[in-house]
Amino acid sequence: MRKHCTMVELLAIRDGEGTAWARSHVDECHFCQRELDLLYQRVSALRTLPAHRPPRDRWVVIREQARRERRGRAVRRVGFGALALAAGIALLIGVRAVDFPLGAPSATDAELAALMTQSRELEATLRSYGTDGRVLSGRAAGIIADLEDRIALVDAGINQVSAGGGPPDQLIGLWQDRVDLMDALLSAHVTRAAYVGF
Amino acid sequence: MTRAPVPVIAVLDDIAVEQAKTGDLEALERVYRSYEGLVYTMARRICRTEEDAEDVLQETFLEVCRSIRRFRGSGPGSLTAWLKRIAASKALMRVRREKYRDADELPEDGAAIGIAAADVGLQLDLETALMRLPETSRAVVWLHDVEGYTHEDIAEMMGKTVSFSKSQLARAHLRLRGWLGGGQHDA
Repeated sequence: MRKHCTMVELLAIRDGEGTAWARSHVDECHFCQRELDLLYQRVSALRTLPAHRPPRDRWVVIREQARRERRGRAVRRVGFGALALAAGIALLIGVRAVDFPLGAPSATDAELAALMTQSRELEATLRSYGTDGRVLSGRAAGIIADLEDRIALVDAGINQVSAGGGPPDQLIGLWQDRVDLMDALLSAHVTRAAYVGF
Repeated sequence: MTRAPVPVIAVLDDIAVEQAKTGDLEALERVYRSYEGLVYTMARRICRTEEDAEDVLQETFLEVCRSIRRFRGSGPGSLTAWLKRIAASKALMRVRREKYRDADELPEDGAAIGIAAADVGLQLDLETALMRLPETSRAVVWLHDVEGYTHEDIAEMMGKTVSFSKSQLARAHLRLRGWLGGGQHDA
């Protein structure tokens, strides 16, 4: 025959789930009554422990990360637009090649196609890193946000020049900028991934 | 560590919550300022280190920034409950990820109270005793006895069974009882 209640039984009594034997035993046993009282006291003391305040203000980091994620979503939307644009330009190049079957594709067309391919590959690599949801330091988030802003600006420039039939050299320059920025963005993410051990 | 013996939730009006739902960062900052103490305190009680608790705070509010548009609660307590749930999940995720398992093996609680008194006499204060518990046990104590989660809630958040939660709670109290002795449990 057991002498006293176990902690499981006392907790069950406290939570209104005690067995008939345990409840009856506590009514009669001073030792178990005291243990139950101590349990109530302990929980009451836990509830009055002082609150903690974070030692550092984390809002700036959170805000920058939230902004970065929003920009990332915007960049991806623009990125899909740029991909569609690239497909259109590639189609135009193809049409020109059909129109002038005797002439080889110009160096400008080839350069543009190569840059667009490079940009697509960098985007695919970046997506494969699954950059959303990672916690970044304020500095890293700032660098990445800046790069994403610049990419968005370049994409806007590409759209504008393409729509207005601007000079090919200008378009090549913009695509080269996009490739360079995408490369820098990828490096920033890869460095961060290596740092946190992913 | 800075402690504040003041209420951890500042007044946050409904307008600020509605603005935060639109993604307004200033309104989200007001939500953060109102709840950072509550979230950090819960994280600090569950996680082992200040750094982990800070990371939980950051992850919780990032999740808030991402998801507050989908928050459909109304009434004064619903935002608090929603935030606490996110914070508890993040803290428990961190506990699992960090694999703080080294001290999680506590003795079985088959014995009656009087037998489990190996640590009687240490007479730790409550805060020290709480931090001395293994993460999982401490998380269960805090979530059940202080935050008011049921064993069913805790089991779901931890990916464990209800009986696991109950047994962790009993083991933790057995330990605390031993460390604190029979006197007052002052913080």
